[in-house]
Amino acid sequence: MKVLDKLSLRARLGLLYAVLLIFSVVVVGCYSYWNIWQLFISNKSSQLRARAKPIIEHWLVDNDLTKSNNPHLKLNPEKAFILARDLTSRDTVAIVLNRKGDIIANGKCLPEEPQAPIPDKRYFRRALSGENEVTYRSQVNGKPVLVLLIPLRPRPASPQIFGVIQMSTLLTDIRKILFRHGTMLVSLVAIILILGIVTGFWLIGVSLKDLQSLLTSCNQISKGNFSQRVSVKNHRDEIGKLAISFNQMIEKLEATFASQQRFVANVAHELMTPLTGLRGSLEVLLRGAQDDPSAMARLSKGMYREVNRLIRLCEQLLGLSQLESCSNVHKQPIILSEFFNEFKANAQVLAGGRSLSIQQGPYVKVSADPDLLKQILLNLLSNALRYSPRETPVVIRWKLLPEQVEIQISDQGQGMDRETLSHAFEPFYQGKLARLVSNEKGIGLGLSLAKSMVEAQGGMIRIESEPGKGTTVFFTLPLE
Amino acid sequence: MNTDKNDNKIKILIIEDDPVITEFLCTGLKYEGYEVTPSTGGKAGFDALQQGTFDLIILDVMLPDTDGFKVCEHIRDCESDIPILMLTVKKEISDRVKGLDSGADDYLTKPFSFDELLARIRALLRRSGRIHESKRLRAGAIVLDLETREVTKNGKKINLTPTEFGLLELFMRHPHRVFTRETLLNRVLGYDYDGGTNIIDVHISHLRNKLDDRPPHLIRTIYAVGYAFHPEGANT
Ligand SMILES: Nc1ncnc2c1ncn2[C@@H]1O[C@H](COP(=O)(O)OP(=O)(O)OP(=O)(O)O)[C@@H](O)[C@H]1O
Ligand SMILES: [Mg+2]
Repeated sequence: MKVLDKLSLRARLGLLYAVLLIFSVVVVGCYSYWNIWQLFISNKSSQLRARAKPIIEHWLVDNDLTKSNNPHLKLNPEKAFILARDLTSRDTVAIVLNRKGDIIANGKCLPEEPQAPIPDKRYFRRALSGENEVTYRSQVNGKPVLVLLIPLRPRPASPQIFGVIQMSTLLTDIRKILFRHGTMLVSLVAIILILGIVTGFWLIGVSLKDLQSLLTSCNQISKGNFSQRVSVKNHRDEIGKLAISFNQMIEKLEATFASQQRFVANVAHELMTPLTGLRGSLEVLLRGAQDDPSAMARLSKGMYREVNRLIRLCEQLLGLSQLESCSNVHKQPIILSEFFNEFKANAQVLAGGRSLSIQQGPYVKVSADPDLLKQILLNLLSNALRYSPRETPVVIRWKLLPEQVEIQISDQGQGMDRETLSHAFEPFYQGKLARLVSNEKGIGLGLSLAKSMVEAQGGMIRIESEPGKGTTVFFTLPLE
Repeated sequence: MNTDKNDNKIKILIIEDDPVITEFLCTGLKYEGYEVTPSTGGKAGFDALQQGTFDLIILDVMLPDTDGFKVCEHIRDCESDIPILMLTVKKEISDRVKGLDSGADDYLTKPFSFDELLARIRALLRRSGRIHESKRLRAGAIVLDLETREVTKNGKKINLTPTEFGLLELFMRHPHRVFTRETLLNRVLGYDYDGGTNIIDVHISHLRNKLDDRPPHLIRTIYAVGYAFHPEGANT
């Protein structure tokens, strides 16, 4: 098994196939060889019997033995010799045995006639006990012979047996025929095997070809070449299907990889801008602006803003990375009205004197992570506050839906145009209007973070917005 | 000032949306003697360009209304050969070429150092012939050669250490300006030099000795503030 494991799939399949083929062909060959041999032998024996039967009957009539009822009749050796002689031919020799098993007559006279084998006691006893068709194979001087034992009865089916005739015939002819037959069989088997193995290997090779190209692609991809695709000829077999789903998988991977790269590039970009501000401001200060109090004040305020922006970026990135592993979501039952009573203080700080109302909805218990819920609300609230004029109110309310609750945050601000709406949830995306209007520059992570956080808790988020009228963000949470 | 006419300041237009970057660019460049006009977007920048004449434009690639390349092409289309220095972020490295194609003269990758920015600005101005920076700074009998880094007084060579040379160069570039010891330390010994400002007093006294600077000093001590350079003292 160890050795098999080391082979390639192709070699393994080929080997298995070849072994099976050889095994079955050899079994069939052996069986047919044996079958022919049996056929020849039974043919030969029935031939001999057919020839012997009239001779024996004739001899019985000639010797007036047909009517005999004497169980102890002794065979006359001379008469028995006549019978043996009649039954003997060029390739067959007959001997007559009495009930004791002694040879009383041997038909062999001429030197070219074969020799009779020594009677076998076991078979003799069977013949003597009345068995008609005792046939067995034996050897004389190393040559194979077929031996037939015929019980000598006065009449057919008479229980009385006064001796046994042993006829033996040489099997050398049959052997010869069989040998010829065998060699033919072997060469046929060899040809079949060669053809079978060659076509088998070819077939295996053809069907494994797609697998090979799959392997090549895998190697390419492991080197980082994600544009690689597997081309398949046959789309219906298992390998074809594997290749198709492999291609789909790679497509997904490629997309994920690209978005990951984009994300990292975006992060770098977002880091670089505040860092540029910080470095530049510091250098200008150190170069001498520090001696001018007003320049000092302006630059340090700017630096403070940039540092805060960096901190916010880091926090949001941390939040995103925490969400990637769902283990950081600790759901627990939350009574919404109680939660919002606590949240109000946080919200008020963020609103900084602006009109913010939290409208109590029906009594509901949701299953959510309170920290995440708070962050979602803070993100959405800061958007609503940032993208709407100071005088306009921001409203939070909730509504009961089947099996879930929907929380809404509405403002009466600038709203989003179609393009912003379609990209709002993408990390680092910022609407054009937003970048012009807001004095405090955002990062573009707020909504994508909120979306991840809502989804991590099994909810959904969507935005309805009309440019110039206002925006409402809806998100759902599952009920307890 | 290193321009040929002191009253005629070099005018720089900054097109950059980030308020902090704009702030430090304005402050820093004003300190270097440039006249700076900030604008926060492509359109605003273009409007400013219509109203005034400028010697150089500093242009950010990422602008809220358009991107910097378009602004650049636009400027080139309708106007002039004003040198344009582009500010980019690393991820736009491939955009650099594009930036130069669109007509920018040079680029700087964020986060850049202010010193490098100054060097690029000076190089661009020199290349476009807007300043004729002389290779020598003069103050009376004292001549400072920027290329050979040699100082002579009345034709006699004076051996200065690099720090002393830096101090003298700074003083001669900014006559009458009062420098605190802190600023001198940062400008001459580097922003990250850790150590007391006393070292500046030591260097100044060495420099005065070498220049044979007797009262009234060329390099004057401003009480409780620092030092300032008064070139008219060299005539005496
Ligand atoms: N309530 C709102 N009204 C109008 N536009 C909005 C609103 N909320 C979000 N937007 C638009 O969607 C964009 C993406 O919002 P998101 O919260 O993700 O980023 P941001 O607010 O710009 O930055 P920050 O990461 O600081 O939150 C915003 O730039 C803005 O254009
Ligand atoms: Mg936001």
